[in-house]
Amino acid sequence: MKNLLILSLALLLAACASVRKVESGANPVGERMSINVDGNWNHLDFPGIKPAQLWTMEGITIDELMVYSGIRDGQVMHSESAASDKQKDFAFRKAMQTEEIVSMLEGVLSRDGSTFKLRKLEPYAFGGKKGFRFEFERIRKIDNVQMRGLGFGAVDREELFALVYQAPRLTFFPRHEARVEAIAKAVSIK
Amino acid sequence: MKRRQLLAAGCACCASALVPRAWAQETPDYLAPQRFQRPDLATDEGGLWAMMDREEKALRRSPLVLRDARLAGYVQDIACRLGAAHCPDIRVFLVRTPQFNASMAPNGMLQIWTGLLLRMENEAQLAAVIGHEIGHYLQRHSVDRLRDIKSRAAAGQVLALFGLAGAIGQLAVLAGGFAYSRDHEHEADRIGAHLMHRAGYRVSESAAVWNNLLDEARAREGDEPSATSPLFASHPAPPERRNNLAQLAQSMPGGTDGKDRYAEHTGHLIDEWLQDEIKRGQYAESLVLLSRRIDTGGAAGLMRYYRGEVHRLRGLAGDHDLAWSDYQLAVADADPPPPAFRGIGLVARQRGQMSEARHAFARYLDLAPEAPDAALIKSYLAELNS
Repeated sequence: MKNLLILSLALLLAACASVRKVESGANPVGERMSINVDGNWNHLDFPGIKPAQLWTMEGITIDELMVYSGIRDGQVMHSESAASDKQKDFAFRKAMQTEEIVSMLEGVLSRDGSTFKLRKLEPYAFGGKKGFRFEFERIRKIDNVQMRGLGFGAVDREELFALVYQAPRLTFFPRHEARVEAIAKAVSIK
Repeated sequence: MKRRQLLAAGCACCASALVPRAWAQETPDYLAPQRFQRPDLATDEGGLWAMMDREEKALRRSPLVLRDARLAGYVQDIACRLGAAHCPDIRVFLVRTPQFNASMAPNGMLQIWTGLLLRMENEAQLAAVIGHEIGHYLQRHSVDRLRDIKSRAAAGQVLALFGLAGAIGQLAVLAGGFAYSRDHEHEADRIGAHLMHRAGYRVSESAAVWNNLLDEARAREGDEPSATSPLFASHPAPPERRNNLAQLAQSMPGGTDGKDRYAEHTGHLIDEWLQDEIKRGQYAESLVLLSRRIDTGGAAGLMRYYRGEVHRLRGLAGDHDLAWSDYQLAVADADPPPPAFRGIGLVARQRGQMSEARHAFARYLDLAPEAPDAALIKSYLAELNS
């Protein structure tokens, strides 16, 4: 059943998603952020993913890198207004402290019933700005896969910039962890 | 017939809809059927069992199933007290998911989500939910539901041939499906109450479950839930249901609530369930839940800490003052939760009360040096000390 759900999700996304290759080198995201990548990343775009960009190396049922650039005060993170259960939308507020931003991202990642466990939260210079880095574990509700993840972020001039990466903990996360750390290190924010 | 409809039928009438008719006089007592035999695989019921068997196999491996043998044994015992002769056929799975839900499949697989366990105030309330689910199981509602969906699907396909009139007809068929579901809910509530009474539980607690759920739903919807939520729309009107349960309870007096036993078996997991609860971001519902728990006593420091967290995270005008007040009461508790000191530090830092922030952060690190956010809090302390 779970496999069928995943397959259905993949087919649905294939029907309404656009996919393009992310070129190696510097990639501007939004007006102020630039991400330097190597490797075979793909950028997917489909309804409901904004205000983030979704990048993946292995395919979105396996790994995903969410890229948030220039999120403004009051902006909703992945609106779920169509959900029948009237889920609350999470929104960024410019006055949020680091813990509140991470809590907001936790909420985004667990509102489908997935679990989220914060393993580490520490200061981090992200894009040359004073920011944060966090590590987490997640059990994805839809298929019970145990994920591991990394997140990075900073608020600059009242706008949020962040990366959140996750992949199955056993094979794929260790395979790409160093690559994602390198991407985060090379982010620039104008 | 779509697979999801089959599954929905298989787990029909979940307790997220826990939910009753003027029926107290209808059933002086309830006589449960004999234990069920596995149906022939060639029948629709046999197919439904087979599908649920596969779901159960997957569920057994799920990392979301709680591996707490003592709690699982306790809940299994409650199910056995209620199910009586059917006890050997009931298998309980506690699933870590913060929403209020329980469901029982025709093969005896009973799922209870932690969001429901968090909301139970005593053993009798949990027995009310389980008794309701066993009521669906004993009456084989899922099989009725499956056959109903099949016949409605066929009728809908015929009606679809007739344009707008056909579309209206399809809507009528759908509405009929809801009514059918409501009848099942009424019956399951009635049977659940009898099972509770027979097992020695206080039946009035079943109305309390519904009342509490209704309070939360109102806080979220800002209106009668039946007016805005498709979930509630497919079930009896909430006040009617609560009132019917209360009426039924009057005809079945006595019983115990098992409050202490419930707290003894779940107390060590409340912290984790509350962490999951506030991540839902349904702050209005969480505030109703936490305020109720504070009013009814038990783990007051922990409940105040989490209510403070909800206010801080919601961040509306005045919320930081409310958070501050709850954190202060939490740290004054005999068993103060360490993160309540962090909460005080965060609010104080934002208000520019540097001395209070410094003191609270230092206390938090003393009590929780290995906390996941220790490095970040240390950086705040370094800033405050510089």
